[in-house]
Amino acid sequence: MIKARKIDVSFLNKESDFPMKPSGYMCVNSERKVWLIIRKRKRESKKNFWVVETCVLCTSVDQPCELFFNHEQVRTMSRVKRRTTHPPYWHVLKNNQRQDEKISSDNLRFVREVIQDKYKNKSPIKGSDLDIEKKEWDPKTKRSGVIARNIGVQHMWEKDGKKVVCTVLHVLDNHVIRYVPPEEYAKSIIGAKVFRNRKPLGCLVVGAEAANPDRFTRQYCSLFNEVGLLPKKRLARFIVTPNAVLPPCTPLTAGHFVVGQAVDVYGKTIDYGFQGVVKRWGFKGGPASHGATKFHRRGGTIGTGRDKARVWPGQKMPGHMGSERRFCRGLKIVRINMKYNVIYVKGTVPGPTNSIVQIFDTLLPRRKFTEAPPHPTYFPPEDGTLPQEDIWDSNMHVFGSPSISV
Amino acid sequence: MLRRAVLQTFRQGLAQSFFKRNAVSLSETTVTHQPIETSNEADEKSVSKQKPGDESGNTVVVAPPEFRFMYPEFLPDPAMERRNRLKEKLERIDMLQRRSVVEIPEFYTGSVMAVTVADANSPNKFARFVGICIQRGGSGLRAWFILRNVVDKQGVEILYEMYCPLIQKIEVLRLERRLDESLLYLRDALPEYSTFPLDMEPERRLNNSVVPINPLKVKLRPRPWLERWERQNLQGVEDLNLPQRFYDKAEKVAKPWEKYDLMLQYRKTIPAEEQEKIFADVHSQLQQQEFKRKMRRRRGTDNEQ
Repeated sequence: MIKARKIDVSFLNKESDFPMKPSGYMCVNSERKVWLIIRKRKRESKKNFWVVETCVLCTSVDQPCELFFNHEQVRTMSRVKRRTTHPPYWHVLKNNQRQDEKISSDNLRFVREVIQDKYKNKSPIKGSDLDIEKKEWDPKTKRSGVIARNIGVQHMWEKDGKKVVCTVLHVLDNHVIRYVPPEEYAKSIIGAKVFRNRKPLGCLVVGAEAANPDRFTRQYCSLFNEVGLLPKKRLARFIVTPNAVLPPCTPLTAGHFVVGQAVDVYGKTIDYGFQGVVKRWGFKGGPASHGATKFHRRGGTIGTGRDKARVWPGQKMPGHMGSERRFCRGLKIVRINMKYNVIYVKGTVPGPTNSIVQIFDTLLPRRKFTEAPPHPTYFPPEDGTLPQEDIWDSNMHVFGSPSISV
Repeated sequence: MLRRAVLQTFRQGLAQSFFKRNAVSLSETTVTHQPIETSNEADEKSVSKQKPGDESGNTVVVAPPEFRFMYPEFLPDPAMERRNRLKEKLERIDMLQRRSVVEIPEFYTGSVMAVTVADANSPNKFARFVGICIQRGGSGLRAWFILRNVVDKQGVEILYEMYCPLIQKIEVLRLERRLDESLLYLRDALPEYSTFPLDMEPERRLNNSVVPINPLKVKLRPRPWLERWERQNLQGVEDLNLPQRFYDKAEKVAKPWEKYDLMLQYRKTIPAEEQEKIFADVHSQLQQQEFKRKMRRRRGTDNEQ
């Protein structure tokens, strides 16, 4: 195919062959024959497959033509790497190689004092410090997210006695590190990709889990010099609208969220390692008995031998399974514990126990906010009144309350 | 003996008392058929031990060692990958909250219990079931137990989640232990061993300090069975009277080295120091709740009089 031009094929939507919105291309090949290719994008188990549903040969585009449907499946896999063990090249080197430095205990104590002096506690940022004119909430605002640790799973019950499996997420000591304004973010590599055809938004860099500066390199600690915070083990970026900007060093807690709201959780799935075809792709394998020789969990045939005469890209085979970025969308928050900074979320979350996840307001259109949430984030009341420690969703049975009678 | 090596981590006095009270469950060789009682048992049952003071001079209250048998669901799942101290602490707080509303008494496999559950489909809106506890498991809010009874010649087993808010009442009608930790063999036993009258009254124990061990040996029905009972070292079952080939195969398949495997035991249990911490955390609240219930009961009987 030499040149292809995109055309409108909406007339085909009525056909039952095309349940998903197809896109059409008109191509001219070397024999000057005009082809109308209707492609349907099909998601097939974690890989992007472009499936050519039909190739139709037309004599001319203007006159009505006979449609010869020649169903031909073409499978190509996008060649994007699914996982890497090294960070991207623009990140600074993070962890220090621990040298066996023989420091005397006095000197160690001195080093610790220096660190304490350098990172003396800052006064917490109050809500009144922020200028309020820009901070009106509207339904199109995107607030910051939060870094949390998946502590485990707890069973809770609703008011009608139905059991609900809830994931417990512990919001770590989050602090905003810096804000990247929309114009600057759109120039960066990731920002350019994300905002190629959209209006650019800003980016908040949030850090969690303060640690001893000794374990990190100087370049990594310099990221936190402006803010004056202890270097954080984990960093994350959250895309925010300019009216939801937070000043650096603002703490983010569990109160940032509202009980009953829907939330998206991003995490890396459980790493299963190198797995066979039965566990990885759900193949049935072979018979366990009846004389099957060495064919119990194998894949079987990997091609026809005729078409293309090779193994096609995307052929399902054993390989590394898990440790992939995934989002769980629309999970409902059923309980927030303000004292321990813990959120209980209905359902399960990608990743094993004690792994780090990112939580942010859902992008599912029907479950977004109708009323204003704590915007841009939650600040404890300045008159010293403590908030309610344990907030439950109205649907949930509180453990200290009497037993349910149906 | 393996268990003695584990026990030496406890302090001397505590170790002796707990070993004496639970002798049958621990030693596999000596099987005592009478409930063991010592003069100091009656005092130690519900009185917490006071640890000799720390360097600061404060006395630290430590829960009695029987707590790990009375309240086994407070101990978390030993699998190390899924443990998190904060989550366990929060779960314990929730468990205590639920216990303040409903009395979840001490029970063991072999005890006869009655459970009242809210049920929309019953005529009274409450369903009561009486049965013998054949198995118990789970940790935290997921703790469960199975009650078995034979109703109209049909064996019925119901699994109850201990912390489910639909449960209105849990009564222990007969508190005793059997010779095994799991009584699943009652499914293959003669029905009379699993039958308990549905209107059974709670039995009062003469001796409150020690939980009696019922040395009953159950007769099984003729084969086929649900499981290979001859491979399971069951103490509470009468002689199975099987042909010798069954016992030979059982010997071939047996793993006699497991009782010497220290690491296996370590991975299956929570270390003693952590157990002490957990129960010390929970102990005072449980005692308060028990005390309140006793007062309520006494006030109730006084009112009746």
